[in-house]
Amino acid sequence: MNVEIAGLTRRFGRNQAVAGVDLEAGPGVFGLLGPNGAGKTSLLRMMATVLPPSSGKMRLLGREPGSYGPRREIRRRLGYLPQNLGYYPSFTVVEFVEYFALLKEMPAARVPAAVAAAIERADLGDKARAKLRTLSGGMLRRVGIAQAIVNDPELLLLDEPTAGLDPEQRVAFRALLRNLGERATVVVSTHLVEDVGAACTEVALMNAGKIVFRGTPEQLTAKGEGHGVGDAPLERGYSAVLTEARS
Amino acid sequence: MTLTDALARPRPRDAGHASPMSLWRLLWLELRRNAMPWMFPLLAALFVFDAFRSAMGYGPFWDLRASALENKLLPDFVAFVAGVAAWMGSRDSRRRTRDLVDATARPRWTAQLTTWAATTLWVAAGFLCCVAVLYGVTASQATWGGPPWWPVAVCLAELALMSALGFAVGTFFPSRFTAPLAAVGAFLLSLEGFRNAVGRSSAYALLSPTTYVPDDDTGLFHHYLPDVSIAQLMFLIGLTMVALAILGLRRAADAGPQLRRAAAVIAVAGLAAAGTAIGLIGTARTQAYGTVIPALHDAANDRPIPYTPVCSQAAGVPVCVHPAYRNFLPDVTAALAPVLREIASLPGAPARVDQVVVNDLIPSNGAAITGVPPVFRLPMPATPDETSFGQNAVSFTSYLQATLVTVFVVGAHGFVTLGPVGGTPAQQAVVLALLQKARTATQTGSGPGNGSHTKADQVAAAARRFAALPATTRHAWLAAHLATLRAGDITLAQLP
Repeated sequence: MNVEIAGLTRRFGRNQAVAGVDLEAGPGVFGLLGPNGAGKTSLLRMMATVLPPSSGKMRLLGREPGSYGPRREIRRRLGYLPQNLGYYPSFTVVEFVEYFALLKEMPAARVPAAVAAAIERADLGDKARAKLRTLSGGMLRRVGIAQAIVNDPELLLLDEPTAGLDPEQRVAFRALLRNLGERATVVVSTHLVEDVGAACTEVALMNAGKIVFRGTPEQLTAKGEGHGVGDAPLERGYSAVLTEARS
Repeated sequence: MTLTDALARPRPRDAGHASPMSLWRLLWLELRRNAMPWMFPLLAALFVFDAFRSAMGYGPFWDLRASALENKLLPDFVAFVAGVAAWMGSRDSRRRTRDLVDATARPRWTAQLTTWAATTLWVAAGFLCCVAVLYGVTASQATWGGPPWWPVAVCLAELALMSALGFAVGTFFPSRFTAPLAAVGAFLLSLEGFRNAVGRSSAYALLSPTTYVPDDDTGLFHHYLPDVSIAQLMFLIGLTMVALAILGLRRAADAGPQLRRAAAVIAVAGLAAAGTAIGLIGTARTQAYGTVIPALHDAANDRPIPYTPVCSQAAGVPVCVHPAYRNFLPDVTAALAPVLREIASLPGAPARVDQVVVNDLIPSNGAAITGVPPVFRLPMPATPDETSFGQNAVSFTSYLQATLVTVFVVGAHGFVTLGPVGGTPAQQAVVLALLQKARTATQTGSGPGNGSHTKADQVAAAARRFAALPATTRHAWLAAHLATLRAGDITLAQLP
C-alpha cells in the first residue's frame, strides 16, 4: 500500500478540518469527492507532508513522514498540485518545471529529459518557452500538472486538477490520469464527479472531515438509484451519500 | 507525445541527491530570473551622478577616489539591495508557492540560500562593474600606485549583509510593503542609524564602512592600514552568517539534523566573528597615518612607501613632488616661483622644496623649513582636478604661497589653514607685503585673522607701505632684520 492512514485528524483552532480519517490506497487513481469545507484539501496537504497532522498515523510509500529522513524520501517520490497553484510569473514553463525537478532532488543529468517529457505530457510543448505571466488559467493548471509529474512520482496528489481546463483538455487529462495510475497511486481531489467516473478506480467521499463513503465509482452510482437529486447517475449517488451522512 | 499518447517510461528507483550540479543549475535559474538586474539602470544613473562625479572631484589618487566607494556608492546600493532581497525573500509567500516548495525534498533553507546567493551575486556584479569603471578611469589618469582592494572587499561584505538582512526580513514578514520598508530601513541604518546608535565619536562607529575615510596621503607616502577593514569584514561577514543561519534554524524541523547542525555552527561562528570584531574595534586608536588596531596591526605597514620624487628647476631652486603629483608639478612650481624669487638669498630661504606627507595632527599640516641648506617641506592638499589645479587654481596657488611665506617669516606655528593668521602684527604685515609682491594678495584668508579692525587696518597699511618699498630696499631690510622679526621683537611702527 502506498497510502496507509489511520485515525488522522487535523485541527485549526476550534475547527476540526479532518476528523479521524482511515484510508488505504495502492496503485491506481483514487478519487476524493466532497463538498466545500469537507476537509479534502487539508487531507491532501497532510499527505503532501506540508501540513502536520494533529493526531493519527500515516504511512506514505512505506515510510512515516514524521521524521526527516523518511519524509525527504517520500518527497522525492511525491508529486503535488495544490488547489491554489502559485507560480513565478517571470519563469518560463521549462524553467518552472525544471526548478521543481531540481527541488525534488532529481539527478541533474535526468532533469532536461524529464522536464521535456512532463511538458509534453501536459500538452504544453508549444508553450515551453513562454513566460508564465503570459499563460491563461487553464494553461497554468497544466504547468502545475507538469511540475507535479516531472519526477514520475509514485504518489501523485492532485487538488482540483481539472479546474480551468477546457472540455477537450479535461478528456485528455483523464487519459493521462489513467496512464499514471497504472504504476502510481494518484489521489485526485475534485468537485467534478464526471472526472471520478471517467478516471478513478476507487473513490472516497468526505463530509465534515470524515470519509462517509468508500468504494468504486460503480458502487457510488448504485447508491444513487432511486435518489432524485442530480443529473447523472454518479451525481445522484454522490447526493444520496451526502444526504444520508448529514441526516 | 501528448496527453493522450503518453507512453510508459521506466520509473526512476534511484533516489536523487543534492549534487553540486543540481545546486549550480538551481542557482543558474535563480540568476536568470532574479529581480536585481531590473534595478541596474537606476543604480547606473546613481553611480554616474553621485559616486563617479564625487570621485572625479578628487585628483587621480587611488585611495581618495576609492573613498567614494564607501561614502557614495555603497549607500546608493544598500537600499536597492535590501529592498530586492526582501522582495525575493518574500517571493514564495507572495506567489503562494510555499506548499509547492515545502512538498519538495530539497530543504527549504538550501532553496532560500540559492535565491539569496543569486540576488547577492547580481549585486556584487553590479557593484564591481561600477568599481571597474571608477578604477579604469583612475588608472588612465594616475601616475602612481594601484587600486586599493580593501574598500572593495568591505563594500561587498556590507552588500552581502544587507542582502541577507533584507532576505530574512522578507522571509519573516512577507508582504508587498516589506521590500520598500526594508530598503528605507537599510538606507537609514547604513548611513546614519548605526553611527547614531553607537555614538558618532565612538570607536564602534568605525564598524560601519561609511564611517571610515582614509587620509589624503594614504597609499602615497604611507600604506593603507587594513586594520579597520579587517575588523569591518569580520563584523559584516559574521552578521551575514548569523542572518542566514537564522533562516535555517527557523525551519529546523524541515532542515534535517545535518543542516540544523550546520546552521547552528554558522550562527555561532558568525556571532563569534562579529563579537571579536566589536572587541577589536574597541581597541582602535588614531595615529598620524591612519587608525590602528594593535591586535591586527602589521608593523610593516608603518614603513613609508619608498619613491623617487619628480623635480623641476623652473622656480630657481629644485621643487620636488611625489610622483603621484607629477602632472601637478608645473602648477606647483608656477605658484611657488614668485615667492621663492622674493625671498631668494635671505637668511633661511629654502634651497629646495620637497613635498611631504600631510600630518593632520599638527596645525601646519607638516609644513616647515628645516635643515641645512634649508628645505621647505610642503604638504600638498588633495587636488581636485585630474592633471592641474584647474578651476581651483586661485585657491591652491594662494594656499601654497601663503604656506611658504608664513612658514618663512613666522615659522610653522603661524600657519593654520589658508593664510597667515598667527604671528605678531609686524610679521603679519611682512607676510602680506610679500604675498602682495608675489601678486597673490589672496582673496581668502590672507588678511590678519585676529585682533581688532583698527589693528587689522594698521597691519594692512603697514603691509602696503612695506610692499611699496623698492625691491632692493625691502630685501636689504629683510636681510638685516629677519632674525629679529622672526623673534617677534619688531613692532609695526618699526617697519619701514
